[in-house]
Amino acid sequence: MPRAQPRPAKGRLFASYRPLPGVPDELVAPDGTMRPAWAGIIAHLEALSPQDIGRNIARGEQYLRDAGVFFRTYGAGQSERDWPFSPLPILLPEAEWAQITDGLSERADLLEAVVADLYGENRLVADGHLPAALIAENPEWLRPVVGITPRSGHFLHFLAFEIGRGPDGRWWVLGDRTQAPSGAGFALENRVAATRVFSEIYGQSNVHRLAGFFRAFRDALNGLQADASVRAGAKVGILTPGPMTDTYYEHAYIARYLGLTLLEGGDLTVEDGALKVRTVSGPAPIDVLWRRLDAAWADPLELDDTSRIGTPGLLSALRAGTVTLVNALGVGVLESQAMLAFLPGIAEVLNGRPLKLPNIATWWCGQKAELNHVRAHAAGMLIGPAMATRLPFETNDTHALAGQLRGCDQSLDDWLVANGPVLVGQELVTLSTTPVWQDGALVPRPMTIRVFLARTPQGWQVMPGGFARIGTSADTTAIAMQQGSTVADVWIVADTPVRDETMLAAPTQAFARAEPGALPSRAADNLYWLGRYIERTEGLLRLTRAYNARRNEAGNDALRGLIAKELGRYGLDPAEPLPHGLIRSLGYAVNAASRIRDRFSVDGWAALADLEKSIARMAQTVTAGDDAALAMGILLRKVAGFSGLVHENMYRATGWRFLTIGRSLERAAAMAGLLATLTDPKAPGGSLDLAIEIGDSIMTHRQRYAVLASRETVTDLLALDVQNPRAILFHLTEIRDQADLLTEFTRKGQLTEFARRVVAVQTSIALHSPETLSPAALRRLKADILALSDVLSDAYML
Amino acid sequence: MIYDIVLRIAYTYASPASGGRHLVRLMPADLPGEQRLIAGHLDITPAPSERTDRSDFFGNRATDFAFRGAFDDVALRVQARVERRGASPPGPSTPRADLAADLAASRSLTADAPGHFLAPSPLVPHDSAMLAYAEAATGAQMTALQAVVAIGEALHHDMRYDPDATEVDTPMREAFNARHGVCQDFSHIMIACLRGLGIPAGYVSGLLRTIPPPGKPRLEGADAMHAWVRAWCGKHAGWIEYDPTNSITVGENHIVVARGRDYSDVSPIRGVLRVSGHQTGLHSVDVIPLDA
Repeated sequence: MPRAQPRPAKGRLFASYRPLPGVPDELVAPDGTMRPAWAGIIAHLEALSPQDIGRNIARGEQYLRDAGVFFRTYGAGQSERDWPFSPLPILLPEAEWAQITDGLSERADLLEAVVADLYGENRLVADGHLPAALIAENPEWLRPVVGITPRSGHFLHFLAFEIGRGPDGRWWVLGDRTQAPSGAGFALENRVAATRVFSEIYGQSNVHRLAGFFRAFRDALNGLQADASVRAGAKVGILTPGPMTDTYYEHAYIARYLGLTLLEGGDLTVEDGALKVRTVSGPAPIDVLWRRLDAAWADPLELDDTSRIGTPGLLSALRAGTVTLVNALGVGVLESQAMLAFLPGIAEVLNGRPLKLPNIATWWCGQKAELNHVRAHAAGMLIGPAMATRLPFETNDTHALAGQLRGCDQSLDDWLVANGPVLVGQELVTLSTTPVWQDGALVPRPMTIRVFLARTPQGWQVMPGGFARIGTSADTTAIAMQQGSTVADVWIVADTPVRDETMLAAPTQAFARAEPGALPSRAADNLYWLGRYIERTEGLLRLTRAYNARRNEAGNDALRGLIAKELGRYGLDPAEPLPHGLIRSLGYAVNAASRIRDRFSVDGWAALADLEKSIARMAQTVTAGDDAALAMGILLRKVAGFSGLVHENMYRATGWRFLTIGRSLERAAAMAGLLATLTDPKAPGGSLDLAIEIGDSIMTHRQRYAVLASRETVTDLLALDVQNPRAILFHLTEIRDQADLLTEFTRKGQLTEFARRVVAVQTSIALHSPETLSPAALRRLKADILALSDVLSDAYML
Repeated sequence: MIYDIVLRIAYTYASPASGGRHLVRLMPADLPGEQRLIAGHLDITPAPSERTDRSDFFGNRATDFAFRGAFDDVALRVQARVERRGASPPGPSTPRADLAADLAASRSLTADAPGHFLAPSPLVPHDSAMLAYAEAATGAQMTALQAVVAIGEALHHDMRYDPDATEVDTPMREAFNARHGVCQDFSHIMIACLRGLGIPAGYVSGLLRTIPPPGKPRLEGADAMHAWVRAWCGKHAGWIEYDPTNSITVGENHIVVARGRDYSDVSPIRGVLRVSGHQTGLHSVDVIPLDA
């Protein structure tokens, strides 16, 4: 008799979990019992079959894929990498978290006091609590910023700390992140993914929500605006280094989540000491920036002059006290490893007591006694550059690990003696383990938690969990985390039900419809070019399809040559079944879209990414002729899918107008060029039918003219018919409508040169009849349409 | 000695330049006990839409200015009257071997604190070839001041002054390998040598007296902005300045404009006015003793 699928025996998962000997574990208390916070989630897992668990995990992973969560990795072929999500969260009881919160808030205040002194009075150096050389030689101590007092009164507003649990069960601070801490947005995505995996129990698990933290931080940012009377958030932006940075996804995500404008250095300009955003409505004031850009790049005039991603004059705006940066420039000085050697002592001086949460023990080798200590204990240490803000592995710096020197052929002791002042020794830290789900069982893996703090008028707010890194092997030395890690959610578990939090305003607040802020010129430019490149890709797909459909027909040589010549204008080689130029054209569209990800719906982005994947896949398999023609048909439908999503979902604000102008301008110009060729009396037979085919108007032509195609009917339908969405006049009318709306909304009715020129071009074609619109006139028209591009750029993009 | 100084810098653009923001350090410094700026002004043509005069971290006079519209030419003109005294003779220099102790005792981050001038700076990275050169040129028993002079004389002997050999952005290593360059190269190389030996060293931009006193040779670099080196020779001697291009200790024929760790801290002009591409530049200096 066949046995039923074995159900897991009750308690099997926990019973078979084996923490490492002598290493603290998050699930198992030192006495071998289960820590109470985990009871619910473990009971839930034990009630499920491994197949059920696998299916639930797949729900979370599916969410992350659909949301397009990625981060960029550097090195061989920069690429976007899927978010390495570990589905089982780490659970900590509220009471223990309160101690962590208390200790980190104290540390945040200490860091603020230190950095204020380093850019102000310098008492810590004068009184001997910090060696002058450590500051003077720190590349993140920015001399041009010395003496500038932040307008808000504070240097630090948003921080992250890396913490871990040591062998004695106590929590330790492993690193301070002050420059531009990343991960808060990923924490939100972790949480959503984890709730998908544990949807059956999350609601009843008394887990503290993350939204309250973000709401408090957003309100705090809004409160930093100089003028309290302007709409909340109107003058607040996020400053990103741009799409090539590893955490750009997070910048775009969090900008959408908090409803803030995502800005690059090039979007900003300084006029008379005030910071402004270049928008299509002219310079618009902004005065609070959540800075995700490293300070050295922020102002090429006074900081690193090779920076292409900064804003010349930003420091002059800071000196004028017209802008608040979150965090202030120069706070990166706090991140150096050497600081960890002095912060405990400074805490005792400033607070009169030791730090509540200690940091990893560190010795600066620039002092004799400390150097000798490190020499004597090198076997139990990690020794690396004093100024590093990351562990030495991440930068390939020469370092010594547990007595082994790497990257240098001196003896370890000689190296230490010769380079003392630029080195620090740090105790080798071992971490606690937490269970991860692997092959149907729970196995222990080392972990660290990243904790985020935001300054609010009520003091530091601490994000309750959300982000942990988990090692991929059982090696519990902290440095093993560099070999690769996954990321998990952290649940702070209360004893009683918690309040549901949301980012939405409380219903008691007065309702007001916020006016959309002025569109940054860069965003307008990218939307315009996205429209043009998507349309160009579509046109090229149609031409390539037409070519391949005629590839095997006899007697079509002249017509095929004509198409080939037309494709050649755009750099496409029709001999290739799926010409490389097509991929390139779509690539330009994706590139433009990737620079405005904060303005895109997740669906729109997914459709574009799908299109790019399909075209790359087909390039490998498609053969010339009918197969290629068929492939073009599939791709055309995918383009239509993207366009449809945009058309159905995009709010009709200024950005939409630029996208539309881009599409219409490209289509009108392309059609003018095509008609000039195909309606030429010298064009080969079949040219007029080809024009109708590419104009997607075969049926319409048949219904409206009931005769064979003639130069006049084709010109009438594809150039002069204001009802035909393939006709030139249709699109020039569309551009004219959009230009009028732009004038109304961005220039308060004052006509721009662009609006005037659009009227002129649109009128010039409207006055034509099919008889007068000769190939020469069409060619002139095409040039006039393309010339509108520069005029648009002059009017709105500078 | 009192000097009347006129410094002119002008650029003409092949196509109109538009907008842009600039930072210039062109005004002679006011240095109590060494140099007095009696009067000075900087004219900018066309008149910028914004202008701020201030001093930077190292105490140099800096002017920020910005244009809004398009323009074809920019002209900067500094006119100044300066009284320059030779530096008073320094106190006894600390032996090289004891300099580290003097440094460790310095608990300061003010502009003149030696701590700023020992670590690599943007244009003067650590260079083991220059360190080897510096060690060969000096002796372990020397004072810091003796080491400064020894390195300065060695460089002047081994390197050829050639105004056309290098550009403003030529790395110092390239100039050192070819053993030629201009005052900027001489100064950066000497700074790298001194820092390698543990002697704090910085960069000075300035001007030279145009016509030498009767019977003295004309100094190299007098027809444009010049550069030299300052070095910290211990707690008693403090800072001394040395001109490696001319192999002399700086005296009353040198007028200080700005001091920093290297050229990047004192660049006379930062912004789109830098000399590159399609523009032509004019650069002239007159430093005339009042009683000459």
